[in-house]
Amino acid sequence: MEINITGAKILFELPFGIKITETQVNMWLVMLGIALFCAWLTHDMKVKPTSKRQIVAEYLVKTVENFVTSNMGEKWRWFVPYIAALFSLALFSSLISLLGMYPPTSDLNTTAGWAIMTFILITFYKIKTNGPLGYAKSLTEPIFIMTPMNILGEFATPISMAFRMFGNVASGTVVSALIYAALAVLNNAIFGWLPGILGEAAEKLPILQLGLPALLSLYFDVFSGVLQAFIFCMLTMLYIKSAAETE
Amino acid sequence: MLVPIAAASATLDFLSVNIWHILMAIGNLLILVLILKKFLFKPVQKILKQREDEIGKAYEDADKALSEAKTERELYKTKLDSAKSEADSLIAGASKRAKQESAEILENARIEAERRRRSADEDIELARKKAAEEMRDEISEMVIDLAEKVVEKEIDPKAHAAMIDDAIKNLGE
Repeated sequence: MEINITGAKILFELPFGIKITETQVNMWLVMLGIALFCAWLTHDMKVKPTSKRQIVAEYLVKTVENFVTSNMGEKWRWFVPYIAALFSLALFSSLISLLGMYPPTSDLNTTAGWAIMTFILITFYKIKTNGPLGYAKSLTEPIFIMTPMNILGEFATPISMAFRMFGNVASGTVVSALIYAALAVLNNAIFGWLPGILGEAAEKLPILQLGLPALLSLYFDVFSGVLQAFIFCMLTMLYIKSAAETE
Repeated sequence: MLVPIAAASATLDFLSVNIWHILMAIGNLLILVLILKKFLFKPVQKILKQREDEIGKAYEDADKALSEAKTERELYKTKLDSAKSEADSLIAGASKRAKQESAEILENARIEAERRRRSADEDIELARKKAAEEMRDEISEMVIDLAEKVVEKEIDPKAHAAMIDDAIKNLGE
């Protein structure tokens, strides 16, 4: 029995060696889905709402606005669409695995990209709040010797964020694949000795693979997907807010 | 340009780092920000703003209507007050006039009664005097008749009239 655990399939290649993989295509599908969903929700809105769609749209907007402003404060209202985009993209990129598609969040490049965005924003606000010199000086505190550690610490934030999300989603995929394979082996061990056509049928139809993988998928795909998207957004907001507040 | 690759053969490693893919992830995120802004936040916020404006306008209208009602109420109140005082003054004037008239009537009646009483008194006095005179004449005649019988001699009423009158006067008094 051989189990291959690989990354995304490469679908085609653009010039300059840009490979388009399942990660990109699935992410585009997710984005398209979100765009269509939003357009459907918000078309034909009225001042006096007459449709449930509009109530859902207003509820979503107010919830995200409340989520951001309660964590970051009222002056970060402009940041709401970014968090909304980050959360929805992360969430549905993980949940797409329920459809049997490759989840873009189990590609390190995806989570790394988002974490780098967070890192850029953190550093931007640190420099904006303290000035370039103040930021450079803050790296040498409490004593000069700590500078390499502080610089490492700066980079630790995005790296830990990227690997946290990637690790959770990818490990879910890995564990699911392992259990799936193990159940096939177990199935063969239990039913494989059956003579003739029964044995072949058991091999072709591993009934033990029913049930348990679905429960695991509930945890790894749904629960973990929601949780990791939430954590990623929460950390982004808190890091950026504290970066804008540091003295 | 596009070079399809056999799907089964080519995959990325489980852990691969590719700068293009990182940039695409960032780009996708930023594009989704724009998509959400355009398709979700802008329309919803526009509607919310419109609703806020409408509610504000409704409040404004209500306030305006309320103040208008208040001024109108004041107006009616003053009008009502003036009408009331006018009615009061009308009633007061009427009752005053009525009192005056009734006093006049009473006064006239009193004067009339007085006048009548006085004329009645005069009549009575006149009648009394007349009666007294008649009585005096009768008495004097009676006296003369009596005296004639007494003295058996005719008394000349004319000659003795003055004397008899004196006597009757003294009697009458």
